[in-house]
Amino acid sequence: MLVGNRFGVRSAPAQAPVVVYGTRWCAATQMVRRYLDRMGIPYSFVDLEQDPVAAAQVRWIAGGTVSHPTVSVGGEILVQPSLNELEWALDRAGLL
Amino acid sequence: MPEQRDSRRLSELERRFGELATAIPDSPEKEALSVLHAIVQETRRTLAPAGRASGGISGLTLEDIATMYKRAPQMDGEAVSEPLAVGTQAPEFTLRDANNEPISLSDFRGSPVVLVFYPLDWSPTCSDQLSLYQSELAEFERFGAKLLGISVDSIYSHGAWAAVRGITFPLLADFEPKGEVARKYNVYRPGDGFSDRALYVLDGQGIIRHAHVSPRLSQIPDIYGLYRTLSDLTGQPMPTSTGSESVDATR
Repeated sequence: MLVGNRFGVRSAPAQAPVVVYGTRWCAATQMVRRYLDRMGIPYSFVDLEQDPVAAAQVRWIAGGTVSHPTVSVGGEILVQPSLNELEWALDRAGLL
Repeated sequence: MPEQRDSRRLSELERRFGELATAIPDSPEKEALSVLHAIVQETRRTLAPAGRASGGISGLTLEDIATMYKRAPQMDGEAVSEPLAVGTQAPEFTLRDANNEPISLSDFRGSPVVLVFYPLDWSPTCSDQLSLYQSELAEFERFGAKLLGISVDSIYSHGAWAAVRGITFPLLADFEPKGEVARKYNVYRPGDGFSDRALYVLDGQGIIRHAHVSPRLSQIPDIYGLYRTLSDLTGQPMPTSTGSESVDATR
C-alpha cells in the first residue's frame, strides 16, 4: 500500500511531507535517506522491491523505468535528484 | 511568494498526473504520455541555476567531471565470489595510497576497520558508494572505525578521483600484482580484471566480523545494516534516523 497520495494514489494518509521511493541496495537512495536523517527532516521510505503499486507509479512518473530514488517533497516529484536539487525542493516546500 | 505559489501549482499538477495513471489503459499512447512527463522533468532540471560558473578546459566544470559517471556506460553483472568466513583472521596486506605511502592492515590494529572493495574509480555506483561513505565519515569516526577503499586502479587515478569527489579516506591501489589483495579476500573477478563489490568489517584484532559481497555490481550494501554491525561491534548507538518504513504495514 502506497502511503500518502504523493502520486495521486488515494490510500493511507500521508505520514510525512517527504517520501523516498527507492531500494535498500541503491547508493543514491541511501545518500538521500542519510541526508534527510542528518537534516532532521522526517520522511517515509517506500521499498520499491516490496511495493509493486508504488513501483508502477514511479514507472508512470519517470517515463517507463522504475527510477530510484524518486522523491516526493510536499507533492513535488523529483526523479533521481542530486542533493542540491533535493535541497532546493525542500527549501521551496518550506521544510528547511 | 511567487516561487512557493509555483511550487504548489506544480505539486497539484503532479498529483493530477499521478491520479490519471490508473485511468488510462496500458497502450503506446499511455507510454508516450509517461515519456513526455519524464522529458518535461528532465528539461526543467537542465535549466542552470543562476550563478553557475562555466568551466575552464573544454568548458567543463569540476562538477561536470564529478558527475560524468552518470553518462558513462553502465556497469553491472552478478557477483562471482563468496566472501571469506566470518570469525577468521583477515589476511594481512600492504598497499600504496594516492600519496604513494604504504598502508598496512596491521597499522589499524586496535580499531575496527571497514574494507571497501569496489570495482573501479570513476565508474557508476562506485562513485555514489564512496561519496556516500565520505558524507558519513563522522559516523564512522564516532564508531572509531577506519575506512579503507581498495580497487585495482593506480595511485594516480585514486588521487585524481578522490580530489574530484572530495574523498579524504585512503584509497589503496591493488594495482600490481593486479588484484592480489582482492584475490586474498576472495572477491576478485578474473573475467573482468577488477573486484566484486564487497565489504568486510574487522574488529580491533583483525578478525572478520561481517562479510558481504553485493549480489550485483550495481548494488551496494545497506548502510543501515553496516551501522548495525558497527553498533553491535562497538556498543555505540546507531545513528539517528528520521525515516519511517511506510511499506507493507497494511499488506
